Amino acid sequence: MKIAVCLKLAPASTADIRVAPGGQEPLLTGVEMSVSFYDEYALETALRLRETSPGSTIHALSVGGGECVKCLQHALALGVDNVLHIQEPGADARAAARLAAAALRPLTPDLVLCGRQATDDDLWFFPGALGEWLDWPHLSAVFSLDVAPGKSALKCRRRIEGGEQTLEAALPVVISCDRGPHEPRIPTLKGRLASRKMLLPERTAGGLGIAARALEPALATVRYAPPAQRTPKKVLSGAPSETAAGLLRLLRHDEKII
Amino acid sequence: MTGNVLVIIPLAGGRPKRTAFEPLTVADSLVQQSGGEVSSLLLGPGAAQAAESLGAWGVERAYAAEVGAEDYAPLEWVRLIAETARAENAAVILLSADSIAHDMAGRVAARLEGALASDCVGLTRSEGRLRLIRPVFSGRLLLTAEFAGPGPLVATLRPNAFAAAQPARTGAGAVVPLATRRNEKDLSVIMTEFAKAAAGRPGLTEAAIIVSGGRGVGSAEGFKLILELADALGASPGASRAAVDAGYAPHSLQVGQSGKTVNPALYIACGISGSMQHLAGMRTSKCIVAINRDPQAPIFRFADYGIKGNLFEVVPALLAELKRKA
Repeated sequence: MKIAVCLKLAPASTADIRVAPGGQEPLLTGVEMSVSFYDEYALETALRLRETSPGSTIHALSVGGGECVKCLQHALALGVDNVLHIQEPGADARAAARLAAAALRPLTPDLVLCGRQATDDDLWFFPGALGEWLDWPHLSAVFSLDVAPGKSALKCRRRIEGGEQTLEAALPVVISCDRGPHEPRIPTLKGRLASRKMLLPERTAGGLGIAARALEPALATVRYAPPAQRTPKKVLSGAPSETAAGLLRLLRHDEKII
Repeated sequence: MTGNVLVIIPLAGGRPKRTAFEPLTVADSLVQQSGGEVSSLLLGPGAAQAAESLGAWGVERAYAAEVGAEDYAPLEWVRLIAETARAENAAVILLSADSIAHDMAGRVAARLEGALASDCVGLTRSEGRLRLIRPVFSGRLLLTAEFAGPGPLVATLRPNAFAAAQPARTGAGAVVPLATRRNEKDLSVIMTEFAKAAAGRPGLTEAAIIVSGGRGVGSAEGFKLILELADALGASPGASRAAVDAGYAPHSLQVGQSGKTVNPALYIACGISGSMQHLAGMRTSKCIVAINRDPQAPIFRFADYGIKGNLFEVVPALLAELKRKA
């Protein structure tokens, strides 16, 4: 089976993020960056599929500027077979999906994996747009998938409000991954060192036949701002029975929410 | 750019979810600001009947697609939404943000060559431009952005971020039944099984009150106290990733990154320290209460009310107090 994985670099989940002066962009200098949280599960899923279906290959791709190098080296350190860097600094999710579709079509993978949302723009756009522009089905936020050898369909499980769905999808298909039962593996030092010496093939929008107009940002940024700071209204202390009664009084009479 | 707004309403048990009316209210405010008409598309068994009452919500045409619930086919929904949006010449397509909405929204935006804005907490229009506010970087920043085309804007709205109020004016409310003959592409993804979660409690995403337990509950046995308090308040129980990973609570209850994003009127965090990943999923809650015995726990900086104490003493005291009042 031929598996493609789309990866994006994003700030680590624990990093503190501020707004750059002028408010037009986030301040990312000095912020720890890593493969976007859910993309790591996509990569882990690909590696496990290759282990269970011998002869499979994994192709990792990343759309953007120089930051993509880190993603692709991470994938190489974990042993993916091929990588591709699509050079398009500042590409938004819509542009990235257009470029990824153009690059993936001639590659003819059976399965494309990506994260359910990128942990920077939190947009949930890329997987559905990629499926649409490849004219393949897509499924979002899958935490477990199963491909029977030689079959042309796969079985996926996803959690939605009120329960768990099992769905079947015809190949080729785009699947966006949720956090699954298998935690992403960490590359060995040897793998990391080796990955730094490997070549990272590049393509550009022009080379993929995509016009610059099709890559314009979908939305115009007005400003970034930190969320409103919450000023703690009251800290209750004392005996549990007093704090409990005090809290319920506040919620009933001041907040009127219970 | 015309100002027509199409609101997508998935049905649960033949009725719109409580939060489905929020996009209708936003749709009304958008057309009040710069003209256009509101229409809606209802999807699921019972659509035709549920469509009849939408005139009161300012809806001119209510499209009803009686699609199957047991054999949910997401690409059929995408097709029906895109076709209806074209028929209505919709400039804006609104959905309440949940798993089903996230399944559809991006693909619909791509098919209509428009744009997507997910999980919006603000949406207005002025001078032909749509202005939206949405959390990014897992809620660590808020982005204000503008959209002026080309194509429509598909926006999913964070549940409970907008009020649901019937508009002053009514619409014609004409019911338009849609044919639901599936084509081959519709069937390329199909649900074969649905394992329903334990019934009786409202779903996390739309819950008005949530009581959550973290590592501090100490065991699955300890988590029962969280369930008890949730039941006493008519709330949904939630859990932090630490509590889920430790096996105290099922994954379906997880709030935060890698779990659900919630936005209730009241969020009570018990024994939750308040990691960045947890905050990502609940920081927009209207009122946050933290119960934690560690006075240095970061959660207190994000809480409106804090009780610095042992949850095994405070929660039983809350239960006793609630019983006494009842």
